[in-house]
Amino acid sequence: MSDVDCVLARIRTQLKLDSETEQEILAEIRSHLEEAVAQAQAEGLDEAQALARASARFGVEEEVGRDLQATHAGWGTADAVVAAALPVLCALILRWLAFAPDGTAAGWLQVLSRPVFWIVALAALLLPLVRFGRWRYALAGWAIFWALTVISVVSPALRW
Amino acid sequence: MAIQEQMRKGTTTVIVLNLLAEVDRPMYGYEIIQELEARSQGVFRFREGLIYPRLHEMEQDGLLRSEWQGEAGERRRKFYTITAEGRRRLAEELQDWRSFSLTVNRLLGSESRP
Repeated sequence: MSDVDCVLARIRTQLKLDSETEQEILAEIRSHLEEAVAQAQAEGLDEAQALARASARFGVEEEVGRDLQATHAGWGTADAVVAAALPVLCALILRWLAFAPDGTAAGWLQVLSRPVFWIVALAALLLPLVRFGRWRYALAGWAIFWALTVISVVSPALRW
Repeated sequence: MAIQEQMRKGTTTVIVLNLLAEVDRPMYGYEIIQELEARSQGVFRFREGLIYPRLHEMEQDGLLRSEWQGEAGERRRKFYTITAEGRRRLAEELQDWRSFSLTVNRLLGSESRP
């Protein structure tokens, strides 16, 4: 393990985020440290001295890690509402489009040809993607949306 | 949270926004730090690692947007650009800052001193 890796490992001990976010944070800090070390070496310091200076200027790794964790951890209330409500809302809209008021699936086959169907399906995917900037969150929400849609179609108990 | 901590965070935000608005091009974290130190002639020096939580916070708030750049085999860097929302916030923060500093100067009586 290189010395830069040791610094990154100390930061990582404070992070409890999804792996994609952690990797992105650590890649950015690695780039910073490598550039700081390279600059110090260009000024005449040897590798050990360069890393020591870069590390000292960077600050206490654990403190930076805690600050990063606090910045990225948890969603705000608005995020939680969007994440929870959007798939349900979109599934309800599709269900409303697909079924006649008496609960018969009169419109289900025709709904695929209606632009509004695709607009709702795309909205269920793209809105979380825009909001959270992560494909995994968007795809998770989309999966929930389709699961609810299929359940509402195949389960007579959910029809009204 | 201590007042000093709030001031540090608030000051970093407005200084970074101001820099990115002035240069009007994307900059990466290390470059931002170097530029701020150079512009302040070494007076403004903070623990470099602590800029990243602030940059990420500003990005989450929609004040900055980021993009990774760098070809394969080169060092990849995450570049930050100020957004329209960031420029609007900067204008507000600068107005607040001028008002605050004017008031403090009045309270300290610096305007009447030589």
